[in-house]
Order: sequence, then C-alpha cells, then structure tokens
Amino acid sequence: MTAGQLSAMLVALGEHHDRGAFRQLFDHFAPRLKSFYLKAGTNPQMAEELVQETFTQIWRKAHLYRPDKAAASTWIFTIARNQRIDRLRSEKSFVYKDEDFFASKLVSDEEQTTEVHRNELVERVSKAMALLPSNQAEIVSMAFYDEATHAEIAQKLSLPLGTVKSRMRLAFGRLRNILSEVEA
Amino acid sequence: MIHHHLSDEMILAYAAGSLSAGQAMVVACHLDICPACAARVAEAEVIGGALIADVEETAVSDDLFNQILVDVDEAQSFPEPERTGASASGDLSSSSYLDGRYVPRLLANMIGDDFAAVRWRTVGPGIRQFVLPVPSSEGEKVRLLKLSPGFVTPDHSHHGSELTLVLKGSFSDDTGRYRVGDIQDAEEDMHHQPMADTEEDCICLVCTDAPLEFKGVITRLLQPIIGI
Ligand SMILES: [Zn+2]
Ligand SMILES: [Zn+2]
Repeated sequence: MTAGQLSAMLVALGEHHDRGAFRQLFDHFAPRLKSFYLKAGTNPQMAEELVQETFTQIWRKAHLYRPDKAAASTWIFTIARNQRIDRLRSEKSFVYKDEDFFASKLVSDEEQTTEVHRNELVERVSKAMALLPSNQAEIVSMAFYDEATHAEIAQKLSLPLGTVKSRMRLAFGRLRNILSEVEA
Repeated sequence: MIHHHLSDEMILAYAAGSLSAGQAMVVACHLDICPACAARVAEAEVIGGALIADVEETAVSDDLFNQILVDVDEAQSFPEPERTGASASGDLSSSSYLDGRYVPRLLANMIGDDFAAVRWRTVGPGIRQFVLPVPSSEGEKVRLLKLSPGFVTPDHSHHGSELTLVLKGSFSDDTGRYRVGDIQDAEEDMHHQPMADTEEDCICLVCTDAPLEFKGVITRLLQPIIGI
C-alpha cells in the first residue's frame, strides 16, 4: 500500500470509524509494530499486547490525525513510541502523555505543506537513512528502536559520550538537509 | 524571542523517546513555547516513521485483530470526552509568557502557576532551590533554581550534562545571555560561571545527571551544603 493510501485509511478511520480501513491499517502496520516492540527487548507476548494497545489508541485518536501535518507512518510512530514509554519506561510517561501532538499548534498552521509532501518526506528519509555512514545509522536506530539514552549507547558501543552526540548530530543534520530540499 | 535552542541530538533523542525522564521534561517545557524546535521534533518523528515503514515484518497472532475490535467496542461505550481548548501547547499569547515569566504546562501540573507559591529552600546566600518530584533515572536531579539579582554561581565544571531552561529573568556566562524560553545544554567538558544579570530573580528549570564540580576551596566546602 502507498503512503497516500495509508493516509486516506487513517482519515476514513477518523471520520467514521471505518472498520475496513482499520483492518487494512492493521494488516500493514501490526507486523511492523511487533518488530518495533521486539527490538526494544520485549518478549513476543508483550509485543503483541503493545500492538493491541497501540491499535486501540489509533482507533480512539484517529480523528486527531491531519494528513497535511504528518504521514500515516509518522503519526503511528508517535502513538507507538508513547505506548512503549507508558509500558516500559513509566518514569517518562508523564512527559509524553500529550499524544495529540499533531493536533496542537506546535507545527505552525501557516506552513504550506501538502499531504503529498508529507508522504514524500518519509520516502526520502527512508532512502537517505540507507545512505548514512553505518556508524551514524547504527546510533540513530539504537535511539529509535532500543530506546537507548546517549549514555547507554556510549556504554554499549564503548565510545565517548561526545562521539555519540556528534554522530547523532551529523546524522540528523544530513537527514534534515534532505527534508528541507523537499519542503523548499 | 528565543535565541538559544535545543541541539540536534537532543531533538532526535526526544523524538525517539530515548532521553531520560528529567531531560525529556526540560525539552518538553521548551517545546511548549518554541514552535521552531517543535517543528524540528516533527521532522525527527518522520525518521521514526520511516524506520517503522522499513522494518521487517513479524507475523502476529490470527485473532489479534478480533481482540482489538472487542477492545474498541468496549471503549466505544465510554467515549472519550471532547478536548476542550485546555491544552495550550505552543500558545505564545499565554499571558504568563508575556509578563516575563513562563510556567510550562508540565511544571504547572506539579507546582501550580505561581513561582511565589513554591516552597523554596535556601541553599546558600542568593540561591534557592526546589527539587521537583520527577521520577528520574539514577544520579539525575530536576529542580527549580532561583538566583537573586547579581548572584554569581560558583565557578564549576560538569561531570555530566546540565540542561537549563530559563523561566524568569535572565543569566549570562561566557557562552552568552539566556533569557525566558532559552535553553542551555552544558556538556560534560564545559566550564562556566552563570550570573543572574538583571534586577529581578532568575528562575530556571535545571536537570543535572551528575553532581557539579566547583573550583576553589570555599565553594568546595560549600558544596555539601548546597548539594548541587
Ligand atoms: Zn527552540
Ligand atoms: Zn553549569
């Protein structure tokens, strides 16, 4: 399914709790989200529970989804991340519980971005990730998948903390350049 | 006008959900009034989405979808209340920001919206603190610091990081001037001596992940008392 189709499903779900759309979103994202949770070190059973909770949240919050603000995968990532924090890192959940991030004014309303742009961004970022030097890509994915803090990454890779931070900075800098090219 | 923003690596780690609780709190409080950094977080979340889109698939149980339908049907009978405008994320017009102080939502949940009502503890001449009940990770401390006008923080270096958000007044050190909404990320090897540089108190939200190291005998003697 294309990013545009996924966006449309999420909109349909938000507008009238369309069960067909919900099923399609589930078929597409559930096996990916299960991998996402497994990578954070959960056992398969807990990974499925987290998938279950995430989809319940998706159902409840779909009306807050705005296709001009985020691709479906981006929005679902934020729900999944918050769900993971709720379950595995309860000390942080008080910070991230404001799930309707994209519904808030944080992303400025004047921004002239279209749905097409949002979906294109994700594709570009995917391609760009594959082109990152492997030592930068490794650190980015450890942060996103393993939920490892800077200090934990430094420890795991036996690197100075400063090196971890500068690699993150380099990786994000590169990816942001690619994003700004698309948005310009 | 905010002049000092979050670093790329902080933005990325916040979007990934990988910051410690204390650091995430300070970051969230800055995002509350900084649309520029909030837009960067949204960009970083695109990376998270791209990783989800590209990850290999793991088969899920056959009846998982049906279980979810049971859950949502139950949820349906207890609909979520419509949101009121209560969440004023990024609302720059909020009066508390305009009158030269800023109480972020997360913080207001803990202390209310009046700094005068905080139960400040004196830690030394010209410096008061309130340690926040944040369930943080080991070694980490999140607190409000209140510096009297002209107060010069003892010269110190950092073993760990020190993330500071100005909520009222301003301070200066060698790296620049920090006003309401500005953030300072003092890295491990940084060495500085911040000074409250106006006629009013300077109130900051500070997260440290290791005790600071002070220069000079007097301040070293004071350290156990100050506890910072
Ligand atoms: Zn900022
Ligand atoms: Zn310092």
